[in-house]
Amino acid sequence: MGYTSSQVEKETHCYHCGDKCSAHPVIAEGHAFCCDGCRLVYELLSENGLCTYYSLEKNPGIKQEEEKHDGIYSALDDPAIRQKLIQFENGNISRVIFRVPVMHCTSCIYLLENLHRIHSPVISSRVNFLRKEVTIDFDNAKTTLGEVARHLSAIGYPPSLNLLDSEKGKKKSWFDNRVIKIGVAGFCFGNIMMLSFPEYLSHGELNTTPQLRTFFALLSLLLSLPVLLYSASGFFVSAWKAIRSRTLNIDAPIALAIAVTFLRSVYEISFAHGSGYLDSMSGIVFFMLLGRFFQDRKHDDLVFDRDYRSYFPIAVDVIVNGKEKASPVTSLRKGDEIIIRGGELVPTDALLLSDTTLIDYSFVSGESEPVKVRKGEKIFAGARQAAGSARYTVEKETSQSYLTQLWNNDAFSREREKSSGAYIDRINKWFSSAVFLVAFSSALLWLFIQPTNALNVMTAVLIVVCPCTLLLASTFTNGNILRWLGKEKFYLKNPGVIERIAGADTIIFDKTGTITTSDNKAEYVGERLSEEEQIGFRSLAAQSGHPFSRKIAGYFANADRLPMKEVRETEGKGITGVLNGKTYLIGSALFAGKNGSLHDASESWIAVDGKVKGRFIFSHQQRPGLHDVIREMSGKKEIHLLSGDNDSQRKQLEKYFGERMHFNYSPEQKLNYIKRLRSSGKKVIMIGDGLNDAGALMEADAGIALSDNMNSYFPACDAILSGEKFRELPTLLSFTSVANKVVTASFIVSVLYNICGIYFAVTGQMSPLVAAILMPASSFSMILLTTIAVRIAAFRRINKSFRT
Amino acid sequence: MTTDQPIEKFSYDNTIVKWFAYATMLWAIVGMLAGLYVALELVFPQMNLGMSMTSFGRLRPLHTNAVIFAFVGNGIFMGVYYSLQRLCKTRMFSDKLSKIHFWGWQLIIVAAAISLPLGYTTGKEYAELEWPIDIMIALVWVTFGINMFGTIIKRRERHLYVAIWFYIATFVTVAMLHIVNSIEIPVTFMKSYSWYAGVQDALVQWWYGHNAVAFFLTTPYLGLMYYFVPKAANRPVYSYRLSIIHFWALIFLYIWAGPHHLLYTALPDWAQSLGVVFSVMLIAPSWGGMINGLLTLRGVWDKVRESAVLKFMVVAVTAYGMATFEGPMLSLKNVNAIAHYTDWIIAHVHVGALGWNGFLTFGILYWLIPRLFRTELYSQKLANVHFWLGTLGIIFYVVPMYWAGFTQSLMWKEFNPDGTLANKFLDTVTHLAPMYALRSVGGTLYLIGALVMVYNIIKTVKQGNFLANEEAEAPALAKAYTIRGSEHWHRRIERRPVRLLLISLIVVAIGGIIEFIPTFLVKSNIPTIASVKPYTPLELEGRDIYVREGCYTCHSQMIRPFRSETVRYGEYSKAGEFVYDHPFQWGSKRTGPDLARIGGKYGDAWHYNHMYDPQSMSPGSIMPSYPWLFENKVDLTITPKKIKAMQTLGVPYPAGFENIAADSALKQGETIVAGLKKAKVQEVAALAPDDEIVALIAYLQRMGTDIKGNVKTASK
Amino acid sequence: MSAIFILIGASLTIATGFLVAFIRSSKAGQFDDSVTPAVRILFENETVQKKENKTRK
Repeated sequence: MGYTSSQVEKETHCYHCGDKCSAHPVIAEGHAFCCDGCRLVYELLSENGLCTYYSLEKNPGIKQEEEKHDGIYSALDDPAIRQKLIQFENGNISRVIFRVPVMHCTSCIYLLENLHRIHSPVISSRVNFLRKEVTIDFDNAKTTLGEVARHLSAIGYPPSLNLLDSEKGKKKSWFDNRVIKIGVAGFCFGNIMMLSFPEYLSHGELNTTPQLRTFFALLSLLLSLPVLLYSASGFFVSAWKAIRSRTLNIDAPIALAIAVTFLRSVYEISFAHGSGYLDSMSGIVFFMLLGRFFQDRKHDDLVFDRDYRSYFPIAVDVIVNGKEKASPVTSLRKGDEIIIRGGELVPTDALLLSDTTLIDYSFVSGESEPVKVRKGEKIFAGARQAAGSARYTVEKETSQSYLTQLWNNDAFSREREKSSGAYIDRINKWFSSAVFLVAFSSALLWLFIQPTNALNVMTAVLIVVCPCTLLLASTFTNGNILRWLGKEKFYLKNPGVIERIAGADTIIFDKTGTITTSDNKAEYVGERLSEEEQIGFRSLAAQSGHPFSRKIAGYFANADRLPMKEVRETEGKGITGVLNGKTYLIGSALFAGKNGSLHDASESWIAVDGKVKGRFIFSHQQRPGLHDVIREMSGKKEIHLLSGDNDSQRKQLEKYFGERMHFNYSPEQKLNYIKRLRSSGKKVIMIGDGLNDAGALMEADAGIALSDNMNSYFPACDAILSGEKFRELPTLLSFTSVANKVVTASFIVSVLYNICGIYFAVTGQMSPLVAAILMPASSFSMILLTTIAVRIAAFRRINKSFRT
Repeated sequence: MTTDQPIEKFSYDNTIVKWFAYATMLWAIVGMLAGLYVALELVFPQMNLGMSMTSFGRLRPLHTNAVIFAFVGNGIFMGVYYSLQRLCKTRMFSDKLSKIHFWGWQLIIVAAAISLPLGYTTGKEYAELEWPIDIMIALVWVTFGINMFGTIIKRRERHLYVAIWFYIATFVTVAMLHIVNSIEIPVTFMKSYSWYAGVQDALVQWWYGHNAVAFFLTTPYLGLMYYFVPKAANRPVYSYRLSIIHFWALIFLYIWAGPHHLLYTALPDWAQSLGVVFSVMLIAPSWGGMINGLLTLRGVWDKVRESAVLKFMVVAVTAYGMATFEGPMLSLKNVNAIAHYTDWIIAHVHVGALGWNGFLTFGILYWLIPRLFRTELYSQKLANVHFWLGTLGIIFYVVPMYWAGFTQSLMWKEFNPDGTLANKFLDTVTHLAPMYALRSVGGTLYLIGALVMVYNIIKTVKQGNFLANEEAEAPALAKAYTIRGSEHWHRRIERRPVRLLLISLIVVAIGGIIEFIPTFLVKSNIPTIASVKPYTPLELEGRDIYVREGCYTCHSQMIRPFRSETVRYGEYSKAGEFVYDHPFQWGSKRTGPDLARIGGKYGDAWHYNHMYDPQSMSPGSIMPSYPWLFENKVDLTITPKKIKAMQTLGVPYPAGFENIAADSALKQGETIVAGLKKAKVQEVAALAPDDEIVALIAYLQRMGTDIKGNVKTASK
Repeated sequence: MSAIFILIGASLTIATGFLVAFIRSSKAGQFDDSVTPAVRILFENETVQKKENKTRK
């Protein structure tokens, strides 16, 4: 299908990555490609007979970014780093696990698992899609770790290589020990129930065959042991911990109930020829474990506890006697000379060696605009090289850098007091005491009526009214709420967060990247440009790595890209080039010959043959819906703004935040600001995105990180909200308040169950059958009630508001 | 593993798959033909041809066995042998074992196809095959097991796909079921008595019967579903996590659902209720599977519209959902009170067999054959024709049967104001005739559809060229250095002393229990009703004829405690009455009336004439005539053997009774003959005391008479 | 009802066997990844020599 320029329409999409192709797409083997990068990958795959890649999904490929500097990969072969990454070695077989954030579809899995066909020394490669990981075994005699990584990125799947990823350590899967405990409990429960039913259903008929009866009883006793000793062990452990720390958590009374039930059953089976309550016991254990599991279901692919290490590349290029050599960040020493390239982070505090360069601090400090720094100035770790590449001398080791120091601030390391499930514990306190009261008083009562029955009654009470229904209620409620929030791309770290968010009365926003979109977009002001000029500027812009240039190139996406001549880029100033006789220029006002414009950091001027055509303004956009978000929340909550940026936008923001605005705040200032609020009794939610908010996010009762790309970096936090859902923030926050309501409701229901349970127990008619009916009845109704209640709430709040 | 050659080349064995595929199609036709024939026999009794080999009682087991073990069985193996190789990324463990398995299984089927019409049967539904064949089954099954586990062990893919779990469950459980249920004591070659008696036998039989459905017709097919549906739709199963949970839930529940087949029978209450409870609980996991299967196809409904393969699969999975919902409903006591013994059950099982097993198999065949022969399906159009014929067939089969079921049940239970029954049993039979006719129309359609498929497949095979060994390659499984799961499991458990202790405890306990069993058995064979006595030798012989002719396929021997039944048949049945029944003959279907209390209801002469020409006694009856009973003689030489066998099973015949057994049989025979002569029956053949008919009459007249009169002592 | 002993004995033995299998396999990490295996079975096992036109899809 040859493309003639006549039918150059929007619908020519890249066969590889599906992006819109420009006027004259690259053609290979009858397929159109948006760029040579994509074409190269295609050819690589097709000559290895891997074109199934394209038949599994449509345009599965990942667009090739502009030439990546792959020095980093050779760095992987540095013994220190290699040793970090390699899981283990066996003779000449090595295994490595790479995180590959870009994998997204069936084709990706197919390609990654056929890696050995592209790079023969690879023996096997297996994907774990949920964790976006690929485990690779390779022959270290034939290839090196760096080579493997290079091949990965060559086919568009660059492994993410930062300090944190390089830290080994087994991640938990959904199918962990708890599932086995549940399995065992479920198995025993099923069989014990099977063995107990005869007793209940036979109407005494079973007494005619005593050997059968004892056989059943003993078998169920046998089966109950794993439940007691293995499945339920968690409750006993945590109960013991609680008792030692002189607190009463919900597990304590539950553990007691389990123990009592078991002992009573053993007694009845061995002496009273009864069948005991073992089915109820194992049943309730099963359901409670189920609840806990359901509540704690993790989002396999999200990492909540990132620290500074996940921002740093694993290695940087160090200049050792005139030659560039990649070496691990951790081994940087004062005085080392390093090269940082466009887009990379400066891994440690350093002094600039090059004359001048653009540095983007937004990540560390929240300043939205790149700043120009001159030779000799100090750059702080975490700063991003905005354009071109620059050389620095290391000031401090990474571990001593400003960022690391900031991180090691006690606020970061502080383990927040476990407030998870606090509400339940509060209820539980008086609930349990009530139970004990009833138990003992009824026991006392019976001492007068019929002493022999006293113990029976007491144990019976403890058996029927254990707060397990309470636990079920809260766990299933939380689980459901987490699920619904997750559906709306609002991921909570753990159930405890629900309550902390619900309880909050103060909300603090960060500015850059939070209430404004993280990337600034270009708008053109000036005379309109001819077709030819557009082509010129696109081609020129494409030559530079500068963020502005890239945006300009994007602005002219539909124009062709032709080879430029005499391209000259001046660090921090601009770039010029010649296309069929005309000289094109993109750069700062001065560079363009316009003297002294103020915000030159946020503008680029363009000129042809020295004649200025106009300028691009790069401004941070406010997030859509910000207005409504603030309006909907301002009524109920107190709203603040903390920005590390200058106050250039004070005007626009005043109408939202009034006096509660603070600019040029350093991370510590933010952190302390929140500390003060909290010490004044406020419950604070911090919403931020950057590293500069990390401290604040940690300090706040609930720190919510706003992220436009789940694969990208976001600081440690309690919850992650996807940028696109910013508008729904108020709804989502208020939705959390459903939790306590539902729990309370179901608690009342469970009390009703317990009352009728108590009736049987106190009157001494507590039979295994009664227990066997009460247990599943209450459990199931709890699960049903909570699930349905939350579902209704979700439809009422979330869906309604979202339809509009 | 040599790192010089990390990628291993190997090939998949497609030949064995092809063979099983052919066998599947062949036996499908045979089984359906048999089914259609017996269906027609119910419409036109004369189609029994007055020959033993073609009489309903002998052909019906042939039909069920052919469909379940021949058609579905081969279908399972076809799917397993194809998918297992690919899921494990390796060739089958041993081609020789594969061949042995294939030919062994076909041999078993042929043996069944010959022995059943000849009347060699144990009289236990779905386990009719006699002991030598039972042993053969066990051996072949083990061969299959070795081959499967061998393959799993030498696999190149570490993860065991969920389908494999279903295969494993199938193998293990079916092995256990078959062995436990087939414990029988041989009398002669091709004649044996079930080890268990009466209630016990019933319990074991239906525990087997239900689980045969669960683990032979369901779990393996779920495995196939989890492999072939995603492959055919070319998209992963909707939720793999759900499929894993689905499997374990199913495994831990299914095993106990058996007793629901015996509701309202003499089986103890609690055992029945147990069956009910677990059957109901089964809905959850079963539907988990169905939903997973259907949702896998979400988003490819457009594909479903054009692809016959997917159409078949959709209907199959839906049918599975219907059957697994209906099953638990049927196990509810009040529903069961209506449905049991009626054609409702027939409808239910055929939703499963025709819909779930049949259609899934067809879908797989249409998908598989073109791949094996590297070509396109000969005609999509014909495949679609097959689909519609099949669907129509199912509807035409099922609807009349449901209808028949309801009417039958209602008519049985209908009373006149004066408290007498509204309908004679015969009325119900004649009333159902049109439904039976319609049903066979449905069957015919379904069969034609299958024939269309066979034609289509043959054409496809002709146009394609077969790929006997499909080349493949995969890295060897790196066992040596896996992070987890590398060490042997019991070492791991040993590190957790508690669990080791518990598991060993359980195992030991079970071992102990099994040792005690014999003693328990003997104990339990002590009659609980004083008046119940062992059968006389002649009655015993008569009973064996009753079993041989498969009377249980149409007549129950179990009166449920309902007014409608006690009024019609007499005092309801007690567990104690069956303590000498090896095997039990309660039956599961009443095409004809219940016979539990037939004894003494009619005179010998009536039976004599009725067995020769049923319509002469009860006009409109659809019962076949049994002329051969009037020529054949009972072989009294083996009667002593039978008596001895019974004695070993705990039947209290006096010591040395076997020696006089034959004579006593003859004596009893003579009295009956005399009676018949007195009644001036016109003799079909010269009457002799050792005529089979005589023995049969002796048994019929004995049935249920033991506790007549002394009901008081009986009901305990 | 002594047949019950056989049935329960047999069933429980098998069931326990499955339980052990369950524990063992989950310990061995069989169920760790609950997505990729489902996708993996869709891939035809092709050999290197094969080119796209030959791969059945």
